[in-house]
Amino acid sequence: MWKESSVVATMASLQRPDFMPYQNNGGTVVAIGGEDYCIVSATTRLGLGFAIPTRNVCRYSILNNRVVLATAGMFADTATLHKVIKARVKIYEEQQDKPFGLHSAAQLLSNTLYYRRFFPYYTFNVLGGLDEDGQGFVYGFDAIGSGEKVKVVCNGTGQALIQPILDNQVEKKQQYENKQITKLSLQEAVDLIKDVFTSAGERDIYTGDAIDICIITKEKGVLVETFQLKQD
Amino acid sequence: MFLTRSEYDRGVNTFSPEGRLFQVEYAMEAIKLGSTAVGIQTAEGVVLAVEKRLSSPLLEPNSVEKLVEIDEHVGCAMSGLVADARTMIEHARVEAQNHRFTFDEAMPVESLTQATCDLALRFGEGVEDDEDKEEEMMSRPFGVSLLIAGVDNKGPALFYTDPSGTYIRWLAKAIGAGAEGAQSALQEAYYKSMTLKEAETLALRTLREVMEEKVESNNVEVAAVRTDTKKFVIYTEAQVKECLSRLENRDS
Amino acid sequence: MQLVVDPVRHTTSPLVTGGSVIGIKCSDGVVIAADTLASYGSLARFQNFSRLLKVTDSCLLGGGGEISDFQEIQRLLENLTTQDFCFNDEHKKSPRSLHQYLGRVLYAQRSRLNPFWNSLIVGGYVQSQSFLGMVDLYGTTFESEVLASGFGVLLGLPLLRKAYRPDLTVQEGIKIVEEVYRVLFYRDARSINRIQVATATVDGVTISEPYSLETKWDFKGFVNPRSTYDESTW
Repeated sequence: MWKESSVVATMASLQRPDFMPYQNNGGTVVAIGGEDYCIVSATTRLGLGFAIPTRNVCRYSILNNRVVLATAGMFADTATLHKVIKARVKIYEEQQDKPFGLHSAAQLLSNTLYYRRFFPYYTFNVLGGLDEDGQGFVYGFDAIGSGEKVKVVCNGTGQALIQPILDNQVEKKQQYENKQITKLSLQEAVDLIKDVFTSAGERDIYTGDAIDICIITKEKGVLVETFQLKQD
Repeated sequence: MFLTRSEYDRGVNTFSPEGRLFQVEYAMEAIKLGSTAVGIQTAEGVVLAVEKRLSSPLLEPNSVEKLVEIDEHVGCAMSGLVADARTMIEHARVEAQNHRFTFDEAMPVESLTQATCDLALRFGEGVEDDEDKEEEMMSRPFGVSLLIAGVDNKGPALFYTDPSGTYIRWLAKAIGAGAEGAQSALQEAYYKSMTLKEAETLALRTLREVMEEKVESNNVEVAAVRTDTKKFVIYTEAQVKECLSRLENRDS
Repeated sequence: MQLVVDPVRHTTSPLVTGGSVIGIKCSDGVVIAADTLASYGSLARFQNFSRLLKVTDSCLLGGGGEISDFQEIQRLLENLTTQDFCFNDEHKKSPRSLHQYLGRVLYAQRSRLNPFWNSLIVGGYVQSQSFLGMVDLYGTTFESEVLASGFGVLLGLPLLRKAYRPDLTVQEGIKIVEEVYRVLFYRDARSINRIQVATATVDGVTISEPYSLETKWDFKGFVNPRSTYDESTW
């Protein structure tokens, strides 16, 4: 029964992988859904430990002219996930002969993430776009596919720094006095995004260099602008 | 006639020198033996009506089921080998639910029809390059034709499928033994601004013209997918009776 | 009952390794460089080992990390380019697609928990366009004007970023990477002052013979390390 080359494998040696397949490249993503617009933004810094291997990576994917996906976390997983989702969107739009809707994208993303429940994509996603009525909405997800439909969300390394500010400024929560609640215009929302990223960049070493801002409107589809942050 | 076809009508995947697939054509013949089914599309929805052949008074009419639901917004009428239709409909139901699971929305009627037809020329669920599954594959085309009716974001739709795996969209279509007579009757009477009620009556009148038996509430089945509710509903016997009485009133 | 199995063997740590690889994009091509040392732990095992490859007439590869995995990757690329040659249709893989291909290969391997333990830098020059991209053992892929792996990320990248201009020529690029390797040799204990520099330009790919860098050890800070305390807390 015993062979020279055989080894008695204990449960410990079977269970513990010596190679850790995950890496944290940081990154922060923010999405705001407005009355007739949606904004999805992502940092471009690729961080690794205390180093910055590169300052200019793309963390978002335009799925079609009304849905954009942005992802923080491990960059190799991000790139893979985006490839998978984009392929599925292409197949869907061929087979169903209609544009891929925002809530279908949310369902597909949730399923895709949960499918890897026990070897997850180390990614923190936000999905933003316009729904059937042209209203802006966003979804936030954790790494294994739990998500919710909201008006504003932040994910990634800057989450704890940015989300409370967005709750306060967009949803007008935790206000000192009951102020009159006004909805943000597109320009106000873009300015707010620039502000929160600039602030987070001061405190989070994984947030910086630049952000890509995708502005989704019914009239113009998806427009992308870049806003520089500090490089330190 | 059949002599000239010998040799080339054995294999399901063998073309004759004239470029025909005889087994597929024979399968289409099988449909001509089936009970008649009609489908009519209107702006208000799609009506399906089928003839039930009750060969004996001892037969339980409810057990003859030729109108079935695929998903809540899509239904289907069949003619030909009902057992073959079961296989296709089971496949269609899985496709529809799979779509709901993956995309959280109702599957469009046309792509559901396409997905059903994908099965038709594969002659079953098996995968060709998988040797273990080869034995699970059927060795002949499906001897059945379907009328698939549904409502999606683009509105109401009626599709006709045949054993070759082809699907075609129709405004009004008849299949089965009485298809020829019924189709010309539909062509005569159909107009685009028809209401759903008028379509019900037309469907039953068309069946009455081609059926050997007298049309009763227990030997026909009627169903509809309404544009407003987007729901497929099979009519109760009372509802069928009501449609029939409307038909008789119109005649008198 | 005891479970008797032949265990599946995975690369869980590298054995024979190469150090930093450096790349810089220039207006008329790209420059990639590597030193010629293959270490066995702290032993300078092979001192004349080439870690630069010519993949196609317009594409270069430089590799650090586990040498045997690098050689396996070399075999994979040879298969790929041989196939292209056999099709005989004048089509060759572009540097960008080879970079993406390597990214998928390394990502697939890490997903099997059996990584190719390498940092790869792909460079190329096609249709007057320079390409410079990097792949790591997790399958992370990105492009940049300046790239470095290993110790080079810490000591080389800042120098490269400072020296970079969009209008750099390949000749200037070569001078820059030589300077970076000199600095690396002073401080990276797993490096050697023997390097190779490869370029991809309109004239194709050239890989230089290994040559030694001039070194200078009589800096004040090297002679008397204490004196550096005046300027730096390190």
